[in-house]
Amino acid sequence: MKTLEIVPLTRVEGDGGITVTLDGNKVESVTLDIHEGPRLIEQLVRGMKPDDDLNVVPRICAICTLSHKYAAIRGLEKALGIVPPEKAQLMRDLMMLGENVESNSLHTYLLALPDFLGYPSAIAMLGDYGDDVKRALKLKKFGNYVMEVTSGRIVHGENPGLGGFGRYPSRQRLNELSTRATELVPDAVRAVELFSSFDYPKYPEVETTFMSVNAPDGKFGLAGDSILVSKGEEVDAEDYRRLTSERVVPHSFAKRATYDGKTYTVGANARLINMGDRLDGQAADLFKDNYSDRWLKNPLLNNLAQAIEMVWALEHIPEATEMIAALDDPARAEATRKSGSGTGAVEAPRGILYHHYEIKDGLIEVADIITPTAQNLDDIEMHMRTCGERMLADGKSDAELLPALEMIARAYDPCISCATHLVRLKRI
Amino acid sequence: MSSPRIGIYGFTGCAGDQLMILNCEDRLIDLLGAVDINSFAMAKSDNQDGELDVAFVEGSISTEEQLKHLKDIRSRAKILVAIGTCACWGGPQAMKLEEGGFEDRYRGVYGDVKIEVSKAFEAQPVDAFVKVDMKMPGCPIDKTEFLSAVSKVVAGRHPYFYKFPVCTECKWKENPCILIEGRFCAGPLTKAGCGAVCPSHNIPCVGCWGPTDDLNVSGEYKLLAEKGYDADEIIQKIKKFGGAGVAKLVKNLDREREEVRK
Repeated sequence: MKTLEIVPLTRVEGDGGITVTLDGNKVESVTLDIHEGPRLIEQLVRGMKPDDDLNVVPRICAICTLSHKYAAIRGLEKALGIVPPEKAQLMRDLMMLGENVESNSLHTYLLALPDFLGYPSAIAMLGDYGDDVKRALKLKKFGNYVMEVTSGRIVHGENPGLGGFGRYPSRQRLNELSTRATELVPDAVRAVELFSSFDYPKYPEVETTFMSVNAPDGKFGLAGDSILVSKGEEVDAEDYRRLTSERVVPHSFAKRATYDGKTYTVGANARLINMGDRLDGQAADLFKDNYSDRWLKNPLLNNLAQAIEMVWALEHIPEATEMIAALDDPARAEATRKSGSGTGAVEAPRGILYHHYEIKDGLIEVADIITPTAQNLDDIEMHMRTCGERMLADGKSDAELLPALEMIARAYDPCISCATHLVRLKRI
Repeated sequence: MSSPRIGIYGFTGCAGDQLMILNCEDRLIDLLGAVDINSFAMAKSDNQDGELDVAFVEGSISTEEQLKHLKDIRSRAKILVAIGTCACWGGPQAMKLEEGGFEDRYRGVYGDVKIEVSKAFEAQPVDAFVKVDMKMPGCPIDKTEFLSAVSKVVAGRHPYFYKFPVCTECKWKENPCILIEGRFCAGPLTKAGCGAVCPSHNIPCVGCWGPTDDLNVSGEYKLLAEKGYDADEIIQKIKKFGGAGVAKLVKNLDREREEVRK
C-alpha cells in the first residue's frame, strides 16, 4: 500500500490537497482534502440584522463575492417580502455578468490553460503566449470594472443591498461598459478556440448528473427560483435540502453533497448542458459547434464551457446597460414583514450557490449556505478515482497520474474558501 | 544585485487580498519583472520554501497546521507583512473573540464528527502568534497601497500607511455626513485607505478596514450614545471586522456604559 500526495493543490482559490491511496495497481481511495481553516460564518451571523449579514457573508469568498451578496439578498428579500424595483433587478443581472467574465477569464486563461499548454503557471507562459496572458488580464480587468461600477468596489462592494442600490451608475459609465464589452468579445472567442483545440483525455469520463438554476422567461441566466436537474426534473429552490443532502467527512472542513445518493456536477458545463439551447448570438453558434455527448462525462470540458459562457456574458452586457440607463433611479423597496424564511439560489461562476435564511422579529435565526464547491467535491473525487483506476490499468506511472488528477480537480474551478462553509447539521 | 525574494501566502479568509494582487493586472507584469516570487500557491505551481526578503501573509490563523506553516514562514522571512483585515485583526471569523462559545458554534456546524485534517481553534490575527513587521489592512487591500508598499519594502524603505479614519477621506470627497443624517456610520472608528467608498455610494461605512490608529473608543462610545445611537450595537457592528483590535479596545468600557445608562 502506498500513498501519493499533491499538497498544496496550486492554482485554485484556497488551501487544499489531493491524497491518493494505492494498493498495488488498485486505487484504494482518492480524496480532495480541504485544509482551509473553518470560520463558522453561519453561526456568527445568527442574531444579526439582515443588513449586517449582507456585509459579512460576501467575505466567504473574494472571487464570487457578488454571488454571495446576491444569493443572500434573494433569500433575505423572500423572507422579508421585499419586491425589488426593475432597475435594481437589472443592475443585479449586470453585476453577475461582470463577475462571470472576471471569474471565467481568471480560471480559463490564467489557472487552467497552463495545464493544457504544459507550463507551471500563466507567469511562465508570458514568453510564448504573452498575447493570451494579456488578453486574459484585459478580460479580467473589464469583469472587475463591471463589478466596481455596479457594486462600488472590485471586491466586496457594498452598493447592492436589500430593496435596491445605494447609488446607480451614470449613463456615461454604462455606455462605457457597453462599448468595451463589445470590443472584448473576440478575446473571449479566442479562449473558446484554445480550449476547443485540445485533445481531452478519456480517462476521467463517466456519466454524472448536472444541476443548475433555471433562469426565468426561458432565457439563459444566472439566477432563478427553481433548479434544473439534467434528467429533465425541475425542483423548487426552497427544496434545496433534498437536492443537496449534506454530510461531514473526516478529511475535510468542507461538507459534501449528493442527490439521491449520487454525485452531481454544478458549474458552467451544467448550465450549458441544461440551458445551452437558450443561448443566442455568437455564444449559441460556439456552443452548437463544440457540444458533444462527451460533455456529459468529461469534467475537463468545463473549461470550454466557461469560455463559451464568457462570450455570452460579454454579448449581454450592452443590452443590460441600455435597459438600466433608460430607467429613473428608484427608491429602495422596503420590507413588508419582520419574520419569515426564504432561499436564494444563484449561479456563482462555479455553480449553484444557496443562501437560506429564517428571520424572526427582524433578526436572523438560521442561516444555511451551500456553496458550489461543496456540491462538487464528491463528483470531483468520483471522476478522479475513475481516472486513476483506468490510468493504472493502462500501466501509467505515478508521475503521469498525479498531474492528470490535479487537472480534474482544477477543471471544476474549486473555490476552497467557499467550500469551507460550514453547514449546520441539525435543525433547532 | 539579485531580485528581492517574495512569498505570498493565504490562511483562513476569502483569498481577496491575494486576488487583489492578481487584480493589479497590467501592473502585475511589471511587478513580476521587479521581484522574484518564490511562492504564490494561488497563482503558480513551482513554489519553493527558501529564504525570503519579504513574506506577505493574508488571512487569520485557525488550525494547528496553519500555525506550524506560519511559524515556518516567519523563520524564513526577513520582513513579514500582514495583508488584509483578517491577517491584521482576525476578520469576520474573529468577531466573537473573547466572548466565548467557539466550541458550541463548532459543534453547531460539524456535530460530533471528528475531522482529521487538523485541529481547529477560534481564528486570530497573525500577530497573536508571530512578530509582524507591518500591517496593511483592507477588505480587501487597496491595489495602489499594495503596489506602493511593495516598491518601498523591496527597496528597504518603510511604506506609508494612512493613520487617520475614513472620515478624513470622506471629507476630501465632499460627501454629506451620513452620521449627521441619523444613520450609523463606522467611518470615525475605521482606518482610512478605501477612499471612503461606501459613504460615496450613500451607504454607511461598515468598518471593514478595522479600527483606526489611536482610536479613542470610549470617547466615540459616549458621543454616539449622546446622539441617540445604541452604542453596544455599534461595538458589535465594528467587531464584525475589527475582531481582536476592537476586543482589546472595548475591554474597559464598563464606566462609559454605566454613565450612558444614567
